[in-house]
Amino acid sequence: MSYTLIISEVRRGVFEERNLDSLGLAHMLKKPVYMLLPDGQYPVNERWSDVLIKTDIKEELFTAPKNICLLLDKVIERFSMPDVIILTHSSSGTECASYIAGYFKLPVITDVNGMDKDAKTFYKSYYSDKVYGEFAVPGQGPVVITVRSGAFRGSIEERTHASKEETIVGVFLDSDRAFIEFVEEEKTEIDITKAEFLVSVGRGVGNKDELPAYDELTGVLNATLSCSRPVVDKLWLPKARQVGQSGKTVRPKVYLAMGISGAFQHIAGMKDSECIIAVNKDPEAPIFQYAHYGIVGDMNKVRDKLKELLKG
Amino acid sequence: MDIIVLTKRVPVTQEEELKIAPDGTSVDLSRVPFRMNDWDNYAVEEAVRLCEKQGGVITGVSIGDMESDEVLRRAIAMGAKDGCLIESQGVVNDPFTRALLLKGFIEKENLSFNMIFGGVQAEDDQFGVTCGILAAMLGLPFASMVIGIDEIQNDAIILRRELEGGIQERIKIKMPCVLSIQSGINEPRYVSIMGIRKASKVERKYFKADKYLDGGAGSLIDVIRWFYPPKKEGAVILQGELEDTCKQLLGILKEKGVLQ
Repeated sequence: MSYTLIISEVRRGVFEERNLDSLGLAHMLKKPVYMLLPDGQYPVNERWSDVLIKTDIKEELFTAPKNICLLLDKVIERFSMPDVIILTHSSSGTECASYIAGYFKLPVITDVNGMDKDAKTFYKSYYSDKVYGEFAVPGQGPVVITVRSGAFRGSIEERTHASKEETIVGVFLDSDRAFIEFVEEEKTEIDITKAEFLVSVGRGVGNKDELPAYDELTGVLNATLSCSRPVVDKLWLPKARQVGQSGKTVRPKVYLAMGISGAFQHIAGMKDSECIIAVNKDPEAPIFQYAHYGIVGDMNKVRDKLKELLKG
Repeated sequence: MDIIVLTKRVPVTQEEELKIAPDGTSVDLSRVPFRMNDWDNYAVEEAVRLCEKQGGVITGVSIGDMESDEVLRRAIAMGAKDGCLIESQGVVNDPFTRALLLKGFIEKENLSFNMIFGGVQAEDDQFGVTCGILAAMLGLPFASMVIGIDEIQNDAIILRRELEGGIQERIKIKMPCVLSIQSGINEPRYVSIMGIRKASKVERKYFKADKYLDGGAGSLIDVIRWFYPPKKEGAVILQGELEDTCKQLLGILKEKGVLQ
């Protein structure tokens, strides 16, 4: 049997929106779509896949790498080896994809954002998104894919019939890795998701001593200061101010990105802003592809000039 | 606590213009600076901190040409005991092949370890799967996106994994295990030129990659072409001197109603 298998991602009872990209790619592959789901009460559109495979495994255990392989053993036993296994390009999606590749000795391509029209090769980004590579799987055998959020959801075509339902229960789970609890980020007074105007600083700021002047700038602009991941990693600003996949998703009226190159994880957290303005010294920075307006230049000089103009 | 840390030498491309050869078969990196993959920097630091507390030995391992020796020197300067370079002909693009090489190397050279660390992903290929494939091949438990190690027990470790939207999961994982370390887990120490120079005196070990690919499994995936990302409409670039562009910017802010 020839089919595409989607390993869905459900987080705290919610069928994650990024599963839509797994579905979109699966529909483009034009083969029967089987979707594997963890236990739980959450709505899933029954016209998106041909077969829903329900399990009795709770979501926290479902996305543990060894468990998903043990479950896949059963899936393969019941339905045969899928042609393509699709997961989301998320923390757990990529974690599981890598382990599946090693466990079943399968090729893996992550963060896939395109495919050629014959469905023979897949595109993925390289070198800070400045170049894409086109990857072929020489054996054309089964392949494991993780898909970039937002890349394929436009290709979903609803089926005319509701999906068939299958059930797999009683998988013997792994005891080497145990889920303990979810940990929430500490609550702080700052809520960047509520701001109408964000001034966001990135790696380009250079060093910590430049930051107080951005505080002053946001003061005169009546804006809120946010940042990209590298700034948080260096402990220059608290995690609560981070925009991006692992931080906050924001939709302000204006998002002024300064010294942010535009890694996809960052774009995922701000692309729906009403107006995006980017300041970057690299004219080829990917952020300019998503921005409405851009200034090619030194962010610190722009900052100082803005302050001067506003005070004068 | 003996830890193997996987490190990779990568091009730093954030602010570089990259040229693809006209036939699309290669990307010119000849004028791009290289350094240790940023995520690996955090992985080495985390290993060093653990060993400082618990005792133990850190071994840095890298796949690449002789130039990759520089990341091993850096790992040693940070606190690794020694460094092993698996010398490969050309770049190994397929993470499956990289993992296979590492498995062969670790097993054939009898490297002892309680844990294997690597960065979450490499800056150049952004694959993020080498550690996971290696773990599965070695039959070891695995966790990725490790953003905090809370407790080391006799035969297990309690850690936090980063998920999306500021949420983490706390898990318990048995040792030996493989962990991929997320940036921001610590603040990597500063490495001085003197430190690197001192590390250069520690002998590194060099191995030929061919020895470790049983039957030459080769790559499961091939890059057949490089190309530039399709251009979207893109931003309207404000033109003029600094003062002009800044005035235009303030005009846009007023127009959008966020500035009086």
